[in-house]
Amino acid sequence: MARLPLEDVKILDFMWVMAGPAGTRMLADYGAVIVRIESPTRIDTARTLSPYQNNQIGPDASGLFSNCNAGKFGLTLDIGNPRSREIIRDLVKWADVVTESFSPKAMRAWGLDYQALRKIKPDIIMLSSCLMGQTGPLASFAGFGNLAAAISGFHNLTGWPDRAPAGPFGAYTDYVSPRFTAIAILAALEYRRRTGKGQYIDQSQAEASLHFLTPALLDYSANGRAQIRAGNSDRELAPHGIYPSRGEDQWVAIVCRTDDDFGALCDLMKRPEVARDPRFRTLSDRHKNASALDEIIASWSRELEPREAERLAQARGIAAHAVQNSAEFYTDAQVGHRGHFVELPHPVYGKTTVEGPRAKLSRTPGQARRAAPTLGQDNQYVLEKILGYSEQQIGDIAGSGVLG
Amino acid sequence: MLSPYRVLDLTNERGLLCGQILGDLGADVIKVEPPGGSPARKLGPFFQDQPDPNRSLYWWSYNRNKRSITLEISRREGREILLRLAKDAHFLIESDSPGQFASLGLGYADLAAINPALIGVSITPFGQDGPKASYADSDLVILAAGGPLVLTGDDDRAPVRVSVPQGYLHAATDAAVAALAAHHERCFSGLGQHIDVSAQQSLALATQSGILAAPLDADQYRRAAGGVKSGAMTAQLLWPAKDGWISCTFLFGTALGVFTVKLMRYLAEHGWCDEATGHKDWIGFGAALASGAEPMSEYHRACGILSSFTSSHTKAELLRFAIEKGFLFAPVSTIADVIESPQLRARDYFREVEHPELGRSFRYPGPFVKFSESPIQYRRRPPLVGEHNREVYVDQLGMSEPEMQELQQRGII
Repeated sequence: MARLPLEDVKILDFMWVMAGPAGTRMLADYGAVIVRIESPTRIDTARTLSPYQNNQIGPDASGLFSNCNAGKFGLTLDIGNPRSREIIRDLVKWADVVTESFSPKAMRAWGLDYQALRKIKPDIIMLSSCLMGQTGPLASFAGFGNLAAAISGFHNLTGWPDRAPAGPFGAYTDYVSPRFTAIAILAALEYRRRTGKGQYIDQSQAEASLHFLTPALLDYSANGRAQIRAGNSDRELAPHGIYPSRGEDQWVAIVCRTDDDFGALCDLMKRPEVARDPRFRTLSDRHKNASALDEIIASWSRELEPREAERLAQARGIAAHAVQNSAEFYTDAQVGHRGHFVELPHPVYGKTTVEGPRAKLSRTPGQARRAAPTLGQDNQYVLEKILGYSEQQIGDIAGSGVLG
Repeated sequence: MLSPYRVLDLTNERGLLCGQILGDLGADVIKVEPPGGSPARKLGPFFQDQPDPNRSLYWWSYNRNKRSITLEISRREGREILLRLAKDAHFLIESDSPGQFASLGLGYADLAAINPALIGVSITPFGQDGPKASYADSDLVILAAGGPLVLTGDDDRAPVRVSVPQGYLHAATDAAVAALAAHHERCFSGLGQHIDVSAQQSLALATQSGILAAPLDADQYRRAAGGVKSGAMTAQLLWPAKDGWISCTFLFGTALGVFTVKLMRYLAEHGWCDEATGHKDWIGFGAALASGAEPMSEYHRACGILSSFTSSHTKAELLRFAIEKGFLFAPVSTIADVIESPQLRARDYFREVEHPELGRSFRYPGPFVKFSESPIQYRRRPPLVGEHNREVYVDQLGMSEPEMQELQQRGII
């Protein structure tokens, strides 16, 4: 097997739910060895979230949990139990990086804050990720990424101007911030490689995610303009929309990027007179009369299945795509070609499916190497192979109840 | 953190954020633009609404900590200059259609032939290969293809996107992760490689793993603005406040139900509902609704109680409840709320970046994380078109002044 790019990187991962684990999952794909600590009593919320394998509910059925934790080793540990200290200390000595996503103060309360960890290992890199950051009046504001998305402005910018904000789907900052988590860890490893120094990284998921709203923030700072949700209209392009297609909840995205695109679309719709219509001649005309134009396009698209509309439009160089749900994405020829989904053996379900790495490296490609651990699945492996404990030590530990 | 490394950034609007992240981390990022400036400079909004390549706020958003040179790489001499620059670069990022750079003799294989340690990054809508690799694209198109769009918006209308384009940002951040992973490996092997990022695949992450419904044989998520549908229930997530909206996670079950228990007890104690309602089994309530043991009207009644409470308070008051009582409330912030946020102020988040040619500074979102040893610095405001031509061509590549001027006259630079 080819060498994986992060094979030498060892991470002790106390993160849970979605944002944190999705970040370290990316590093696991590229070869990092990750030991994930789970509480044996307080189950990771992610294990209770859908989609569920075969629609069954159970601690190992969550597709979300399995997608965020594939490739990691799982160790159950009752951190409140003093007996866990020694194991954690040995894992910190083993690790290059320690990550956690509790609300601030939790690690300090357990005596596991950065100052404590660097006494165990002076060049340790520690990353804390929480909704609003470790300091400030909202430091203890806890919850899920939908709350961070609301408080960061994403909700108010998503939806129809004549209605209440729709907000992006689900826990939006939990999709944005994991990338920055992985970036920060890799940058800190590079810095340590050159200087020998570890460090502490304070990640506010809200602050990281605000980089996806920079144009709106600058519009306010530079022009005093507070942008608000605008449906699917675009400041640069028209037509620009989601149009109904044949079937229930079937839609196609169609965007004309140039006047030529618009001419080609009118041609495709067999409506050449629309291209000559003074209401639609220039981009600004089309913006002004967008709803009339959208109705014309909808009357064409409604007769077609979304993939057919996509195919016809793309054949003429017009940006278009069927609006895909999971079933349609799963059977999308492009998705299949790219090998997006990966089937893995699973101790409970026989097999399961996760998403593979999203970036392809030509020489050392990443891979989802094993299904996410079931609760406590790797206790023996971690204690024996990673920490090198003797059989007797492991027996004592198991007997103490610290593993749950 | 990346100060020893040089990045050539040839991206258009699809990939700008990737280079900026490396620049924020300290790399020397040279933005290579066609003469006249990158097409991304034509994207608004513009400072004072004056369209000008140096006033595009979209450009400003994703080109901090970069230098700019202009170069016509589609002409032979331009190509040769780029190859000279690539010889001692560590990363090269591009986001043109697949095959475009190769057709100019600048594909990854051409570049690796002169610099085998180079990490080449390509950010495209659908990836380098496959039946849709050459599809025409836009933000809306990749959102549709990648899965999040169908889940977003009101269920009685068409799906809707975030009004600030998001699609390529997901791809550009994935690209930055992969580039740094490849760099880590290069420190051992001395070898570069090519990285191929598909925005369609990057966007699947924005479905909260809902994209796995089909392969797992599970229920599909559906859009329901302000709520998530599950069986017969549409869980309301957005609630009215006195001065706007708040988001509240009002759900049941072992993990989320505990917050609802706390909230409903509080509402009963303070007279917003009767004791029996306050002490209902909120953990098991979802299952009871699913089995029919509780009628759906009971859920709607509970939502009504919560609404009357939230609409009697301001967003700020409700946020205080969240912090003091641990309720899952968050205000739906306006852009002004974000800029004025006491939390962001307390953390000194925003950065005033001086634009001397405009005689003022602008407030930029601050570092994406706080590093204790090597904090991110905003060393350079986004560059003007070709601002660093002399610095790069004369001081760095050793071109003579007349040589550079001649190339300028001929439209190569």
